[in-house]
Amino acid sequence: MKLDIIRQRPFWWLISGLVILASLIGMIISWQQLGAPLRPGLDFVGGTRIQVTRNCSQADCASPIDSGDVRSLLADQGLETAVIQVTGSEGQSVAIRTRNLDVDEQSTLRSALDTAIGPLDSGSVQIDSVGALIGQQLFASGLLALLVSFAGIVIYLSLRFQLDYALLAIVALLHDVLVTMGVFAWLGLLLKVEVDSLFIVALLTIVGFSVNDTVVIYDRIRENINLYPERHIDELVDSGVNQTLSRSINTTLTTLLPLIAIVLFGGDTLKFFALALIAGFIAGVYSSIFIASTLLAWWRVRTGKAIVGLPEPSQPVEETP
Amino acid sequence: MGRQRLLLALILGLAIGAIVIISTVPLRLGLDLRGGTQLTLQVETTDKVPTITEQDMDAVQRVISDRVNELGVSETSVQQLGQNQLLVQLPGVSDPEQAQRVLGETAQLEFRPQSPNTDQQFQIENQILQQHQLELLALQEAANTGSQTLLESATGDDATPGDLQQQIESVQQAIQASNRAIRDLFAPADLTGQALTDAYARPRQSGNLWEVVIQFDSAGANKFAEISRDIAGTGRSIGIFLDDRLVSAPSVDVQYAETGITGGSAVISGNFNAESASDLAIQLRGGALPLPVEVVETRTVGPTLGQDSIRRSLYAAMVGLVLVLIFMAVYYRLPGILADVALVVYALLTLAAFNIFGVTLTLPGIAGFILSIGMAVDANVLIFERTREELRGGKTLYRSVESGFYRAFSSILDSNVTTLIACAALFWFGAGLVKGFALTLAIGVAISLFTAVTCSRTLLLFSLNLPQFRKPELFCPGLSTAPSKS
Repeated sequence: MKLDIIRQRPFWWLISGLVILASLIGMIISWQQLGAPLRPGLDFVGGTRIQVTRNCSQADCASPIDSGDVRSLLADQGLETAVIQVTGSEGQSVAIRTRNLDVDEQSTLRSALDTAIGPLDSGSVQIDSVGALIGQQLFASGLLALLVSFAGIVIYLSLRFQLDYALLAIVALLHDVLVTMGVFAWLGLLLKVEVDSLFIVALLTIVGFSVNDTVVIYDRIRENINLYPERHIDELVDSGVNQTLSRSINTTLTTLLPLIAIVLFGGDTLKFFALALIAGFIAGVYSSIFIASTLLAWWRVRTGKAIVGLPEPSQPVEETP
Repeated sequence: MGRQRLLLALILGLAIGAIVIISTVPLRLGLDLRGGTQLTLQVETTDKVPTITEQDMDAVQRVISDRVNELGVSETSVQQLGQNQLLVQLPGVSDPEQAQRVLGETAQLEFRPQSPNTDQQFQIENQILQQHQLELLALQEAANTGSQTLLESATGDDATPGDLQQQIESVQQAIQASNRAIRDLFAPADLTGQALTDAYARPRQSGNLWEVVIQFDSAGANKFAEISRDIAGTGRSIGIFLDDRLVSAPSVDVQYAETGITGGSAVISGNFNAESASDLAIQLRGGALPLPVEVVETRTVGPTLGQDSIRRSLYAAMVGLVLVLIFMAVYYRLPGILADVALVVYALLTLAAFNIFGVTLTLPGIAGFILSIGMAVDANVLIFERTREELRGGKTLYRSVESGFYRAFSSILDSNVTTLIACAALFWFGAGLVKGFALTLAIGVAISLFTAVTCSRTLLLFSLNLPQFRKPELFCPGLSTAPSKS
């Protein structure tokens, strides 16, 4: 397989452009409906989430939990706005998301649930209660971590390569982060998938991994430039990408395999985490192969550095041999 | 050749060491895996205390720690988070109401004069109490070190920890009985913490020792004068009880035999340093928190749910590992199989590193580990692709392998450093769960540098010494014009 990516550049850029457009549209719709670009989870907006499971050795587990029962029970407690989700195998678990409840309110709710749909299994209860304040704190620290890692990568790559490599690698990164956010904006709109602090972790991991891909390709292009300083950048980029192509694909594959295992076998918490990583890694390998490389060629031609080994480097290069 | 054998022995030794560590040192599991409750408390400012100093935080932390210890749960922890927050971890507590007791009402403080002729019995009961307390410490220690490992809890083998828990409970009951016996040696005097207006620590006028000043309201002052007059010079003491537990038993000097200690203020002096004096002062204030505290986050996971998570993650890790192993072997042939060996060594070393460094494994941490399995072979993929290229370029097998490693190294270094940068950002700015993920991923990346480069290189060069492996088609299928010499 030989890719002619420089010639096909408009095509690859168009694909990315369309995907990013779709992502932005998803986030704008989400902003209008929910007041945030992605559907924010408990971690960021605060609230209480209680998940309980029936103890089937004592309870009547013939039919799934009736969310209507739960809803009327919640209404009695003044929690009409709560979100109810019947989950688990055969619908024997129910997750309830409400405003932030204090411990007494939590206990009242649990005992009410116990009488209405129980007996409940005390070993498989899960309660998360997050104050609005700490939610903002989690969000702010996550955002800060993202920005710091961007800055750190720019600095490292400028030292190891040159500034233009570093900045273009960041463009590719933003591409991957945007695409992943777009996927979750749409998941939030269509399937009510929420993002929590693990999503920020996923974004940071995507940043680390995707720049990794880009670096390997840039490293190869740089090596080619040093070997053949007289050749045009377009040609060097083309061969660099093709030389590293099977590596890029294989590394992404070996990383995706365990993630797919998590999606298939892991619990609910990790499922969407793994899904975010999968989306980000696929966007990442795409942007490394098709975007970061072509951007570099485009930039070097634009700034008149298409051919490094030219006898008079000051002479502007418009036409290429 | 000799160097290779040495490295091979080193790798083998490390792998065996890792297995020994994994099977002997228990893995520390986070609350989301073993079940329990985690509270984040925020210390609030008041009009009197507009800014929270480090001393304030320490004082709050001590009070909270005392109360947490009273719950009788093993392996609890109270840590400071940032400037004004405390993280309280209560393993095995899946009822937030019980956890909330940590912040509950203040304890009951009582002053009681010692009954006549009870000195001997007081000493005996004290000895019994101390003995029980030592027993409890030993049992808790045993419970801590013998805590379930990842594998044990996955197989549901929890018979021994249960027995231990029972023993701990019975000793705790004995301690309570002992405390009550001591209390009964002191006569009730109807002087409680309500009469106490203040208690604080201050340094003594001479020497390095500290003392604790207590102040009563007017009714309490009269009663205290009465009690102190009765026992002054008798050698008996005033017992100060917190929830029926004796915290201090000062005696009263003979000079107060006429009037008792009047004026509503008294000084408890003894062998106090700054910390123990302030501890006592805090306890005398009824163990009250010096500043108001608010619960800003609680997370509770039931033990069954935690075990379910462990089982599922183990399953995912196994399947992920096997898939990667198969892929490498099928695609890269002989070097792929050797990389598989290196990958297994990687998994062993990483798990052992978690045990050695005391990494608390959380659910995101496990995800980080599973993810790192896929990333760990990245370096090998880079190297083998490069080796194939060199082979296709007509180089000999040995030189192709050598230059594959040599040329791929700068890419490997750059790509790993950038991942580590992202990990560092996560670690510095992330909260609890996030930190766990960053740490496990970073450890994984560091170890994979060793296994994927040194380890697989050694294995590969070693196998090249064996003639039956010295075939280029084992490295690069479809290589039409294989070089004749190797």
